Amino acid sequence: MNSKTPTLRRRHTRSVFVRAGCLTLMTAFIGSSAHADIKPERYNTEPTDVVVKLFGAGVGNLDSYGSGTLVSADGHVVTVWNHLINTGYLTAVTADGRRFQTDVIGTSATHDVAVLQLQHDVGDSFPFVDLSTAVKPESGTEVLAFSNMFHVATGNEPVSVVHGIISAESKLSAGLGRWEFPVKSRVLILDAITNNSGAAGGLLADITGRPVGLLGRELRHRQSGTWVNYAVPFDTLQPVIETILKGGTVDQRTETDSESVLTDRQLTTAWGMTLLPEVVRESPAYIDRVVPDSPAANAGFRRGDLVVLVNGAVVQTSHKLRTLLADVRRGQKVAITVNRNGVLEPIEMRAP
Amino acid sequence: MSSRLVTFPAGWTALLSASLGTLAAEAPTWQEREQARIAVLEQIAPSVVCVMPPNGQGGGSGVLISPDGFAITNYHVTSGSGDFLKCGLNDGRVYDAVIVGIDPTGDVAMIQLLGRDDFPFAAAGNSDNVQVGDEVMALGNPFLLADDFSPTVTYGIASGIHRYQYPANTFLEYTDCIQIDASINPGNSGGPLFDINGLWIGINGRASFEQRGRVNVGAAYAISVRQVQLFLGHLKSGRIVDHGTAEFSLETDTTGRVIVSDVIEISEAWRRGLRPGDELISFAGRALTSANDFKNILGIFPAGARVPLTWENIDGRRTTSIRLRPLHEFQQVPELPEERKPDDHDDPANPHDDGDDEAPEQWAHLLESREGFTNYAFNRQQQTRLLKPLTKQLKRFKDRSGTWQLSVSADAVEEPMSLVVAKNGAGLTQGDTPWHQNADTLDSDSEPTDFPGLLTAALQWHRFFRDPTDSWTDVVYIGTELQYETGQPVDILQTQFGSITCRWLFTNENEFPFGVDVESGSGQDEARLLFENWSASNDIPYPQRIGVIVPATGEITWLQVNAAELRR
Repeated sequence: MNSKTPTLRRRHTRSVFVRAGCLTLMTAFIGSSAHADIKPERYNTEPTDVVVKLFGAGVGNLDSYGSGTLVSADGHVVTVWNHLINTGYLTAVTADGRRFQTDVIGTSATHDVAVLQLQHDVGDSFPFVDLSTAVKPESGTEVLAFSNMFHVATGNEPVSVVHGIISAESKLSAGLGRWEFPVKSRVLILDAITNNSGAAGGLLADITGRPVGLLGRELRHRQSGTWVNYAVPFDTLQPVIETILKGGTVDQRTETDSESVLTDRQLTTAWGMTLLPEVVRESPAYIDRVVPDSPAANAGFRRGDLVVLVNGAVVQTSHKLRTLLADVRRGQKVAITVNRNGVLEPIEMRAP
Repeated sequence: MSSRLVTFPAGWTALLSASLGTLAAEAPTWQEREQARIAVLEQIAPSVVCVMPPNGQGGGSGVLISPDGFAITNYHVTSGSGDFLKCGLNDGRVYDAVIVGIDPTGDVAMIQLLGRDDFPFAAAGNSDNVQVGDEVMALGNPFLLADDFSPTVTYGIASGIHRYQYPANTFLEYTDCIQIDASINPGNSGGPLFDINGLWIGINGRASFEQRGRVNVGAAYAISVRQVQLFLGHLKSGRIVDHGTAEFSLETDTTGRVIVSDVIEISEAWRRGLRPGDELISFAGRALTSANDFKNILGIFPAGARVPLTWENIDGRRTTSIRLRPLHEFQQVPELPEERKPDDHDDPANPHDDGDDEAPEQWAHLLESREGFTNYAFNRQQQTRLLKPLTKQLKRFKDRSGTWQLSVSADAVEEPMSLVVAKNGAGLTQGDTPWHQNADTLDSDSEPTDFPGLLTAALQWHRFFRDPTDSWTDVVYIGTELQYETGQPVDILQTQFGSITCRWLFTNENEFPFGVDVESGSGQDEARLLFENWSASNDIPYPQRIGVIVPATGEITWLQVNAAELRR
């Protein structure tokens, strides 16, 4: 943990001391009780400081919250590139309760990773994990997973920490719906339950606090159908994170990128609407969210609208809608018809 | 657990040692740790209870806390299970148990196991000392696996502390709880959480499940032992115990300060000077960093508790205390919404078998139903314990219903004073200044300036001593608490007469009361007295010192009682 290391050491030592002191007190208090005085396991839970709570827009039944890991003093946050990132307008709350808007600096679909930056004032500094100190422990090693699972923590509360071991290092054939997990190299399989709402993007560390990997998203194994608890090791992610931090571009492909389609992110930030996620093939083009004061909002779109026509062409799927909108030039008039509670509503707008 | 241990590579200990630096020499080996843990589990397992409804369908867990069989479990375990339960211990035996008291908001219930006076029980630790990362062990009966009632042990760490879990479609609110990653599954509800040394630190009651069905996902919540302990004395009263609420609200401003947004104008906090815009610094002895903290701190206290608060405004910093008002005022045992009905009652044909649990004949006398109570038998028993000795003492003073005349003095007052208390009124003569309080009107403006509340409280004291039992429209045993100003553990007996509520405080050392708090109407300060060194003249018993707790300052002004007699 980079420049914080000396501080961490000191605090770590002190917390051990305090705990030992408490034990003595308690033993004294219960007097003749014959309870054993087992030296407690000394887990270093300091990395709670570098995990931020992310809050954005939920999509359908996907969650509106997640986790991210600070990797620079300048507020760079690494997280999983999931629906939360795509919908934009992401707020990050640091361990000390400060709240920041975020920018997406870069993403890599093949690594399933996104790098954000907190919009902070000049001079703000953040605790972070130095990825160059990352370790890759062997299977059987005890680890701690830090995340905002189930958004149990709010405000200045530290995120949750669960413990377990690395069960195996393995390639992973998994996904959710039609989405396939893209990382082809080996990932760390955990026996701790990390496959929870909001845990993706949290930090996996060893019990001394050294960074190990980025907690993965909720997905199921393709063969067994079970939810997989995994983390992508930092030795896989570090090169791509570094490239993004240096301003370089990495694989920009989206999930469906052979033809020209608008991404979820473009649709949200430029047009101001978010569609229900394409968890199954042929997902209908339902509008899940309309950003207030956006072009879509001003044109009259509402949550729950089903888009059925774009410039006279029939829209059967959300994929079709994104393909059609990708062909529209900026400023061009678009005639869109939506089905709103069984009534067809024509809407006209200029492409943003 | 041991099977996992052997999978660790040999290098692990070296890694641990490296991280511990100079402490490495003390670090026990894995084998030593395992042996110690096994020894601890052998000690604590006998205190773990398998709680079952009488028809044997489903069940939960609990923990014994004293040799006379009192045990704690979740309200959502006892709810719908009837008033008598069957409880299995790891000696393989099944004991009858009776419901004692419930705290529906806190999801806590107290039961009493019957038939022994030497039950094994757990020793409580201090849940305020739990730190994130501490090892914990959850004991209980998930999925009712053990036919011989030996509890299942799951191991984990504290994942978070001071967590708040919203009521979620019901009134069950988990405040200031311990989040753990030890596996908690259906049937674990109500069971104890222990620290690695075997001290009881919580009651496992709730877990995050979401879309995974009702299986462990590594996030469960234990009610802290501190909260349970604050309610223990109340639960033994057989009442439906309520949580407290404060009559003001808070918000966190943009700079992170906790600001009072609203104060009810008839509240005690308002009378002490708390106003919207003031910054709340601490509550119940804990510093506040957000409005959320407040909910967490407030949630562990029972209604009626007196707690300190400190606030700051342009006039500076002030500390005072307020009494928490009731949150729900349950008159009847509240019903849990369908989806909150325990995981543990999984007999679909007969989900809430409340009716056919016939009381075991030998224990039937331990149950008495009454509105507002879980089990009135326990309340009656406690009332008798406090009132019988007092009544017996008072019998020797046959004319005690007459007019009492007490000659009193105080440090701050030069001239001797006379306190006269009768059925219809009370008066204090302070030099040339006479104060008079009428028993029927009780006007706070008529109270002596130096001793506010003295006359109002003395009138209730006179009423109490005329006939301790039958002077009232209602008598309820409330429970045990620490008296706020003195820290003295007291039993509280609450009496009602018209709109006047008295809380009579008793200690174990004396048949006569230790003090009284009198509430004569909303929007008015309580009249609060402490009684010290009980003595007696030929006519009446009297305390040699009377302490008047002054609401505005929280200070106690003492009166010496030099003589007490009947005015003839």
